[in-house]
Amino acid sequence: MNADETLDCKGLSCPMPIMKLALTMKKLESGKILELLGTDPGSKDDVPKWCGKTGNEFLGMEEEGGVNRFYIKKT
Amino acid sequence: MPEKERSPFGELWATFFGKSWPMWVGGIVLAVLNICLFLVKSPWGGSGSYVNWGQNLYSSLGILSIPGLHAVTAHHYGLLGLMTVLGAFAGALLSREFAIRIPPAGEMLKGFIGGSLMALGSTMGIGCTVGGFLSGWPSLSGGAIFLALGFGIGCFLALRYLLWEMENLPSMSMGKSFTLLAAKGTSGVWQPILGFIFLIGLFIWGTRFYRTDAVFTWFAVIGILLGLINQRSRFCVTRAFREPFMTGESEAPIAIFASLLVGLFGFTVIKYMGVGTATAGEARILAMTWVYPHFWLRALIGGIIFGLGMTVAGGCAVGTLWRTGEGQVKLWFSALGFLLIAPLSKKFIVPGFSSALPEWAQRKVFLPDSLGYWGAVLLFLVIILLWYLFVKWNERTGKFSAV
Repeated sequence: MNADETLDCKGLSCPMPIMKLALTMKKLESGKILELLGTDPGSKDDVPKWCGKTGNEFLGMEEEGGVNRFYIKKT
Repeated sequence: MPEKERSPFGELWATFFGKSWPMWVGGIVLAVLNICLFLVKSPWGGSGSYVNWGQNLYSSLGILSIPGLHAVTAHHYGLLGLMTVLGAFAGALLSREFAIRIPPAGEMLKGFIGGSLMALGSTMGIGCTVGGFLSGWPSLSGGAIFLALGFGIGCFLALRYLLWEMENLPSMSMGKSFTLLAAKGTSGVWQPILGFIFLIGLFIWGTRFYRTDAVFTWFAVIGILLGLINQRSRFCVTRAFREPFMTGESEAPIAIFASLLVGLFGFTVIKYMGVGTATAGEARILAMTWVYPHFWLRALIGGIIFGLGMTVAGGCAVGTLWRTGEGQVKLWFSALGFLLIAPLSKKFIVPGFSSALPEWAQRKVFLPDSLGYWGAVLLFLVIILLWYLFVKWNERTGKFSAV
């Protein structure tokens, strides 16, 4: 999937990935896609939930070499 | 994509290790295990493990001499904490979630500082989020209310700091990070296999090693389960305090309420009935279990310091234990800070702090003494209800949520 911006949260643990995601999304233009790279197992639940709550569109997650790639579209 | 049909065992495996458990399920099961611990000897607590580990470290290096010191495996809470780490390690392997996650250097520093603050807070205020709150409220301790209030204040302040840090000091959470030993694709099957063997070995060790002492055997077994279930449900007290001020989500607070309610019920039965006691004197000692001389200011001060620490570290005393087992290196530094500072605080800071505080600031208050058992239980039910209403209102309105 092609993303407009990438947010590297590898190695970070809760709550840093979600806080960084929230701040980055604030600055992102509507319709753009953000790719979040993370290794915290908690993010697998937290990212889709955060999207649901904030109304941003969760496009999916891919796992590659122990790193999770989350795709989120700003609405 | 059509799902492959699973065997009955495959389904069972997927339920336990395929994805995280709902946090409230974890909360309830952990409360039941906590009640079991109380029936065996005394309730669940986290900070005691670090004190014991740190004292053993200083003692082995010849830095501090601690009279009557027990080795880690001969101290109930030293053992319980160790087993929690190992149980969480097994849980992470079984669910293919283990990896050594090395964060940027700034995060490791925050882990160490957070752990050190938790060490100060828990020794000064007497109690952490588990011993002082998750066990403290069910113990009907008056000081435990102020400890929790302190956690909330500390957490709120530290969250402000984290937001400030991200805007003004982004380098703290940026830079080189490494992830080692992660389960990659189908070749990652080594993790559940190793986890299964490790878990069996752990249970055998726990039950065989302590076969002459039933209390230690149960502490070992329950410790393993605490770690496993904490990891699988990602049960997190820090999160329960933090989330209303962060995203506003109510999942973690509700999990904590569920755990408190079950604990409150079980602990009240044990204390009210004087389970396992023969005389009125013994029943009184049992009733006063986990009721500490910290009502109210002492608990509040300690709670605030602890709340700051747990939010900066990203996990409380127990949260640090299970994330350590999962391979989160930031929390390894939190554990290190905790175990290095706790014995020093206990020896050099707490005596002065305690004597500087007036008597009214550090009383032992067992609420049923003034409110009766039902009055005390009702008080906690009302507080939990009001807290729940606040959390749900805030989730809807986002009034106190920062992100």
